[in-house]
Amino acid sequence: MSTADDASKHAPGTGAADDRADGAGGAIIFAFVIGLAASLIVGWVVFPKLLYSQKRQPIDFNHALHLGLEDQNCESCHFFREDGSFSGAPALAQCIGCHAEVQGDSPDEIRFVEEYVQKGREVPWLIYSRQPQCVYFSHVAHVRAGGMDCVSCHGHIGESERLPVYEENRISGYSRNLWGHNIAGFKKDSWDRMKMDDCAECHAREGVTQASVQTTKEGCFVCHK
Amino acid sequence: MKIDRRCFLSLGVGAAAGTVLSPLPWKITDDLSIWSQMWPWTPWPAQGENTFTNSVSTLCTDGCGITVRKVGGRAVKIEGMAGYPGNEGGICNLCAAGLQLHYGPTRVREPMMRVGSRGEGQWRTVSWEQALGEVSRQLAGARKAGTPEAVGAIVDQPYGSVPALFRRFLTAFGSPNFMYTPTMADAYAAVLRLTHGTDSLVGFDLEHADYILSFGSGIIDGWGSPVRMFRAHSQWKTDGATVKQVEPRLSNTAAQSSQWIPVNPGSEGALALGLAHIIIKESLYDYDFVNNYASGFEQFRDLVLAQFSPGNVSRLTGVDQSTIVSVAREFARAHRPLAICGRGQGRTTGELGYFLAVHALNALMGTINRPGGVWALPVPDYIQWPEPPLDDVARGGMAKERLDGAGSAFPVARSLPHRLAAAIREQKPYGLQVLMVSGANPLYTLPGQTDLQQTLGQVPFIVSFATHMDETAAYADLVLPAPSHLERYEDVASTAGYPRPLIGLARPVVPREGDTRHPGDVLIQLAAALGGSLQEAFPWPDYDTCLQETLADRWEAMLADGYWANDRFQPDNWDAAFATASGRFEFFPDAVKDGALFQPLEPEGDAAQFPLVLIPYDTARISNGPVASPPFLIKTVADYVLKGKEMFVEINPESADALGLREGSAARLTTPRGSATVRVHLSHGIMPGLVGAPRGLGHTAYDDYLAGKGVNVNALVGAISDPASGLDAAWGIRASLAKA
Amino acid sequence: MKIEGEQGKSKKYGMVIDLDKCTGCGACMVACMAENNVPFKQDESDKRLSITWMRVYQLTNGKAFPDADICYLPRPCQHCEGMHEGHSPCVSVCPATATDYDAQTGIVSQIYTRCFGCRYCMAACPYHARHFNWWDPVWPEGMEKYLNPDVSVRMRGIVEKCGFCFSRYQKAMEKAHYEGRRELEELEYQTACTQACPAGAIVFGDLNNPQHRVHQLAQPDPRRRGRPGNPKAFRLLEELQTYPKVYYLSSREWVHKAGHKAELIKEAGAHH
Repeated sequence: MSTADDASKHAPGTGAADDRADGAGGAIIFAFVIGLAASLIVGWVVFPKLLYSQKRQPIDFNHALHLGLEDQNCESCHFFREDGSFSGAPALAQCIGCHAEVQGDSPDEIRFVEEYVQKGREVPWLIYSRQPQCVYFSHVAHVRAGGMDCVSCHGHIGESERLPVYEENRISGYSRNLWGHNIAGFKKDSWDRMKMDDCAECHAREGVTQASVQTTKEGCFVCHK
Repeated sequence: MKIDRRCFLSLGVGAAAGTVLSPLPWKITDDLSIWSQMWPWTPWPAQGENTFTNSVSTLCTDGCGITVRKVGGRAVKIEGMAGYPGNEGGICNLCAAGLQLHYGPTRVREPMMRVGSRGEGQWRTVSWEQALGEVSRQLAGARKAGTPEAVGAIVDQPYGSVPALFRRFLTAFGSPNFMYTPTMADAYAAVLRLTHGTDSLVGFDLEHADYILSFGSGIIDGWGSPVRMFRAHSQWKTDGATVKQVEPRLSNTAAQSSQWIPVNPGSEGALALGLAHIIIKESLYDYDFVNNYASGFEQFRDLVLAQFSPGNVSRLTGVDQSTIVSVAREFARAHRPLAICGRGQGRTTGELGYFLAVHALNALMGTINRPGGVWALPVPDYIQWPEPPLDDVARGGMAKERLDGAGSAFPVARSLPHRLAAAIREQKPYGLQVLMVSGANPLYTLPGQTDLQQTLGQVPFIVSFATHMDETAAYADLVLPAPSHLERYEDVASTAGYPRPLIGLARPVVPREGDTRHPGDVLIQLAAALGGSLQEAFPWPDYDTCLQETLADRWEAMLADGYWANDRFQPDNWDAAFATASGRFEFFPDAVKDGALFQPLEPEGDAAQFPLVLIPYDTARISNGPVASPPFLIKTVADYVLKGKEMFVEINPESADALGLREGSAARLTTPRGSATVRVHLSHGIMPGLVGAPRGLGHTAYDDYLAGKGVNVNALVGAISDPASGLDAAWGIRASLAKA
Repeated sequence: MKIEGEQGKSKKYGMVIDLDKCTGCGACMVACMAENNVPFKQDESDKRLSITWMRVYQLTNGKAFPDADICYLPRPCQHCEGMHEGHSPCVSVCPATATDYDAQTGIVSQIYTRCFGCRYCMAACPYHARHFNWWDPVWPEGMEKYLNPDVSVRMRGIVEKCGFCFSRYQKAMEKAHYEGRRELEELEYQTACTQACPAGAIVFGDLNNPQHRVHQLAQPDPRRRGRPGNPKAFRLLEELQTYPKVYYLSSREWVHKAGHKAELIKEAGAHH
């Protein structure tokens, strides 16, 4: 503002002042656009790249191949124990039945057998859907009692031939899959995001008793521990 | 076009607008808030398959049947094992906190040789080969010198295969000096030896009694098998049984009893005889038993009638004559009366006269070997090994008298470790060269600590088989790390009053931490290193094989159930129960002589110099045995027992007034044996003139969660050998308390 | 469609503690600490700073020797129902929705990651059942191995308390779902203290269910906000109208009186 005032003082009544003002106006708008564009690029493009570190799984696992060989679908490997707990990523003991010897000639397979099976080391899988410690999630309640399928939350991972890159949030340390791939948090499919609001939204829709006195939503201990 | 300030501002506004329209601020805010919910250093315990393994915890007095919950192989919780005899799913607090000991930082993980002076805490780690080489060199030296008897061992329990291996090792080596920590079970065993003429364990059919007269037994303070006692106590409450508690302090047991009968400390036995006086005088006793199955009744009757009239007993005990009379009548008229003794948790042995007197009350009522009564059980006899072969050196050593006088000066006693200090100091009958300690912690649990520390300094070589760096291990020359109670097999013979033969099986629940070896394995390896007849005495390749062969056909059942019990056991009928000279119950064994042992034992110290009397008390919240309290237990201790590092002693407000002490006052507690600074807690639940001090504090070893807190009462009290049994008869000591 | 971890009828989980049977041994406290990853410090003798979800208080009758008497009183969170259902003292004041009342189970929950440590709830709780983490919990090296994965480990700056071992409810429901059930048996969900109590003094279950022992022992009167029908039973500080779901049984008159006297409890809180 003061710049414009100063200019008027030095050159009163000349048309140049308008020109300058127009020129300045254009510069200002240009600067605004530059700033806007740059920050939008930073926010939408650069930031997500910086925010997440990329990690490779120790072994590139082929879900599609295994699913074709097993008859219990996902539960062949990701099964429920008799106490209702969910086994999660398979332990080495489950793989050894077939993989005591190298099957085929994929380098990942050879590495798996040599580095893990033969040495008796568990594979340190990176779990895409691992929730924070405070979260309690019961697979059996959703799958058995609620009749949900795996795809609703996990998408079509079962049909994949390669494991996606695991992206770890540099600030929180959690997997990108919890927030979802879209940095703005938009989701198209039900498996795109795994935040508390997503749980709550589905619970409200599906009629889980809204027993919380404080929030009139569902009780906190439904999903927390 | 000129770039001026306005442009910059505009750029900034544009950037701000763009930032707001980008996900960056919102996403960073969300991520930061999630990050702040849990710091990177907050532990995040891993999930995994839940499995449950049954075992027996050897931490408490009689072993709790436990179920260990594991998650992915880690042990995360110890719970009571459903169906374990006596405990039935309950658990004592020490066994419940067992994981803190198992995973705790005071575990010994590799063999350690002392570097600095004794007890200084300077160690160097050595290999097992070096460690065993050193022990065999020391042991071989004693044999070469022809003095194998100069090697001794102290373990915790008399029964079970590990103590038996130590005994066998010493026998084959040539030393009679196998010692264990005696408890009330030993005092009862002495009583049963004298009155029944049998080598027996005592059992109590408590669950079927309906009038329980407890002479100082801390029924719910950890006496006997603690969980079984808690359960019996609850059963009595449900059934409406009567419990009368005789003791000088309002313990938890006294508070929950039908009636607390405060009594001068040390006069509990006299009160029992005062009740006997009424029962005999009023002919309320069981005629059948007394007339047909007992001998010596006349002498007993004459003594009791002459010396223990209500008037006399009232003077000795401080109990009203009317109470003596009424309790005697109630007891005698109860359907199933039962008298029990062994003060506090029963870790002290007490006066033989006191135990004899209480047992006589049961005999008068004919409750011996009857439902709801006191039973004589066979001693555990499942260890049937052939006698070890002895060479000349061993025979020579075994012919020597024991250092503690058990079996010689005191024929009914089996182990008298409290007499060890004097024997070492005076080198009488001979000196001690090598001391092995396993499972016991004599440098904490034995009375007369100050004295003991000094005399043990004269023993040239002390080797400790230790799971934790306890006081004795800290003072040793060599520490051999033993696996924890969750890492090893061990048989646990129940000896704390369960009325049926019961053997529990501790088993490996989790993989071993550190480079430990089972004490049984170490003995087998030492025997092999020493060779000759010693090696012959240990034919097993390892301890696990030895245990399996020893338990023979019980092994499979014990693996499956976690224990072996003889559920059909019934005690002998009266006509078969007694193996005395008369074949009858002996009311007046020779040891009673003129009856002097029935008179209350005077505490040590001069009454003028020490006007008060210190009585140690037991509480279930503090472990006072060889296993120290883990942090969870110390956390449960009230702040009127322990505050910071200072311990409170209980005194009656009346005594406090006389001494000018108030709640929380710092005071100097002095006894003939030692002195300590304490704080004072005023309690109406203790008789005037007494000072109550909790057992189990004042550890010097272990970690900062335990060490340096309070005072070890064993450093303030001394032992008094009972003239008849030789067992430590002291129940307290004279003391003075002055404002500090 | 009804899904997720809920039982058909709403429950009112509660506890009955028989003070005639309680031995004061402290096994409930230890079991609670072991189950719930409760931290510990080198010095736990300042009881205002000592985190004990379950604490066993000693009450005394105040009489002189030899009429002195002691009673032990285990105190978990009382899971108050409050003046209107769910308006328990702590829930009413929590500005962070970190503590909440679940009308389905009657349990007062505490979500640690939600709590920002204002401690209003501690001020509101008349039972000293809530504890603040003044320090980050530290386990001596190696001891973190025993931590229970079903209960979140807490950190500095938040309030924690007993949740009636809710993780055990979650586990029990998982088993039920696996077996195609929606209802839990009485003994399927029991708190760690109940399970551990060697005296059998603690009983836990659904106060709404006449088949459950807690109902039979306490005989709660629904028209009088759960006041016990059993004359041996009382609730702590009944006059404050917090309507707890923990009932105590005692045959001793002075213990009943102590349970009603705010002063005595305050004293116990300050000194014990």
